[in-house]
Amino acid sequence: MRNVIRLVWFDLKQELRPPIWIIMEWVTFTIQLGIYGALMSQLVTGISNYQQFYAIGFVVMMTFDIGAHTGRHFVEHAHEGRLPYLLSLPISRSKLFLSIALQGGTELALMLSVPLAISLVLIGNLSAISVAAAIATLFCLGFGVAGVMLGLSFIAFKSADLYTAITVGLSSIIVRFSTVLYPFIFLPPNYAVAAFLSPLTYGADLVRFFLGFDPSILLNPTYAAAVLTALAVGTLGLGMFLLQRLVEGVKSA
Amino acid sequence: MHAHSFYIRLLGCSENSIIYSQESASMYAVETQNLTKNYGKVQALKGLDFKVDLEEIMVLLGPNGSGKTTLLLILATVLKPTAGTAKVMMYNVAKQPTRVRQILGISFQEARGFWRHKPADILRFHAAICGVPKNKRDAAIEEILKDLELWEARNKLFMHLSGGQAKRLEVSKLLIQRPKLAIFDEPSSQVDLRGKRRIWEEIRKLREEGSTILIATNEVREAEYLADRVTILDQGKSVVCDAVKNLKDEITGGDIVELELEPGPNNTGLQDELKQIPGTVGLVTAGENRYKAYVSIAEAWVPKMTGLCFERKARLISVRVTEPSLDDVFLHFTGKALEAPENA
Repeated sequence: MRNVIRLVWFDLKQELRPPIWIIMEWVTFTIQLGIYGALMSQLVTGISNYQQFYAIGFVVMMTFDIGAHTGRHFVEHAHEGRLPYLLSLPISRSKLFLSIALQGGTELALMLSVPLAISLVLIGNLSAISVAAAIATLFCLGFGVAGVMLGLSFIAFKSADLYTAITVGLSSIIVRFSTVLYPFIFLPPNYAVAAFLSPLTYGADLVRFFLGFDPSILLNPTYAAAVLTALAVGTLGLGMFLLQRLVEGVKSA
Repeated sequence: MHAHSFYIRLLGCSENSIIYSQESASMYAVETQNLTKNYGKVQALKGLDFKVDLEEIMVLLGPNGSGKTTLLLILATVLKPTAGTAKVMMYNVAKQPTRVRQILGISFQEARGFWRHKPADILRFHAAICGVPKNKRDAAIEEILKDLELWEARNKLFMHLSGGQAKRLEVSKLLIQRPKLAIFDEPSSQVDLRGKRRIWEEIRKLREEGSTILIATNEVREAEYLADRVTILDQGKSVVCDAVKNLKDEITGGDIVELELEPGPNNTGLQDELKQIPGTVGLVTAGENRYKAYVSIAEAWVPKMTGLCFERKARLISVRVTEPSLDDVFLHFTGKALEAPENA
């Protein structure tokens, strides 16, 4: 386990020296919520406080971006030549995979800490259990998205361009066809069908459920929790399988 | 040095993974059988049978694309073989990869990937993860960085290092790790002559301490300086494997005469006539208008050759008499020049 922590810290400390882009994420969130969220809140009448709804949606979008970044990071490692080095280190593949997942999780925690805190303060009147459940949901979503991206990253060994095209296309679809910015009940039927396929729908609605939003505008929380758990376990399991069985650092004769 | 005795040795490189192993006369540091690696339709290794004895320096010599790097990456468990088996100190690389990684270390052909890290940090991380005891890490890192003239650059970002410095840093990882099997892929490429000498000395020192060394290179001088034995690889196959001296002795003809002619119509058919000169053991083309003649006695052969050129009005640009090198050995066994421009 000590080597897993070493691997996580080796990369992470570079992000923190100085932590500019973590702070920039916080600043972006604050500006987006303070200006866009506040103005939109005055325009939207179907939800009691759209700024709060939007704050959680934005946190979920950040979770998705950070999870996706973990997958991209892995691909970058492969193309920069770092992956062969990591694969040659005296640790098992499962520990290597764990270190990649943990690094993603730690980055997620660091980047979400301030936005989530702001959102929780904005919503107010919350119990520790509901906050803990919301955080757990975000981690579950983050791991699930990272797992999807890690799974897709194996395409990058064949074609980096194809991987980029797929992930960019997938990202835009997954975010737009979800309930991060608008509640499920407001979606037109054909949009609603697509939203069912987006993991962000389940993540956003389950977090909102735990944070006390009106359940009548959200998906069934049991259903959402089951889907997210299956996503996280399934994709991380798939990622680990691929790393252990298929991954090869370079393709050079 | 061959392993003919039966003894017990300490193999582990990690403080958490000390492995005691009984080594018998049949144990090799590396052993491959029918090792095959395909990249799609390209066959990089074609049923390679290859053995490295304990505590020897084995050099893999071959041009780019001969399969050297592929073999090293399979041994380091970075690549998976398509078919056949590869064992490191009796551990199967496909079935016991973690064990294998605890025994060996690899210095890659290109040092890449840690753009925003500093050399000292990279080495500290590598030493820690490879189980170098904490109380010895800093001293070992300082010593190696100073030996390889990287001390001044220890706090530069990796992305600001020169190619030679990056390569020396890559080699430094193994010199700090000091694994039982140290694999170097072109350890001194991009490094100046002074740096090459230092790296070669460090590699020899590593062997003297009991490590087995496997080096892939296409530099003849590096191979001649370091090798106990040389395996010549060509197109994914082992062409020959022996001690450097034995390989050179394989070449018939005591001297080698390299000659270069000025391009011109009078050169047509000259090659056949050169072969007819008494004392010629062999003659091969070594480039356009360049020939390499293996001859019994150069002092007797050269005047006859110059006389022939004079008669044919073929103009000689240069004549050089040498002893056989590993390049000649490669040429002898494969019919191709190792250090041709496309292989450089």
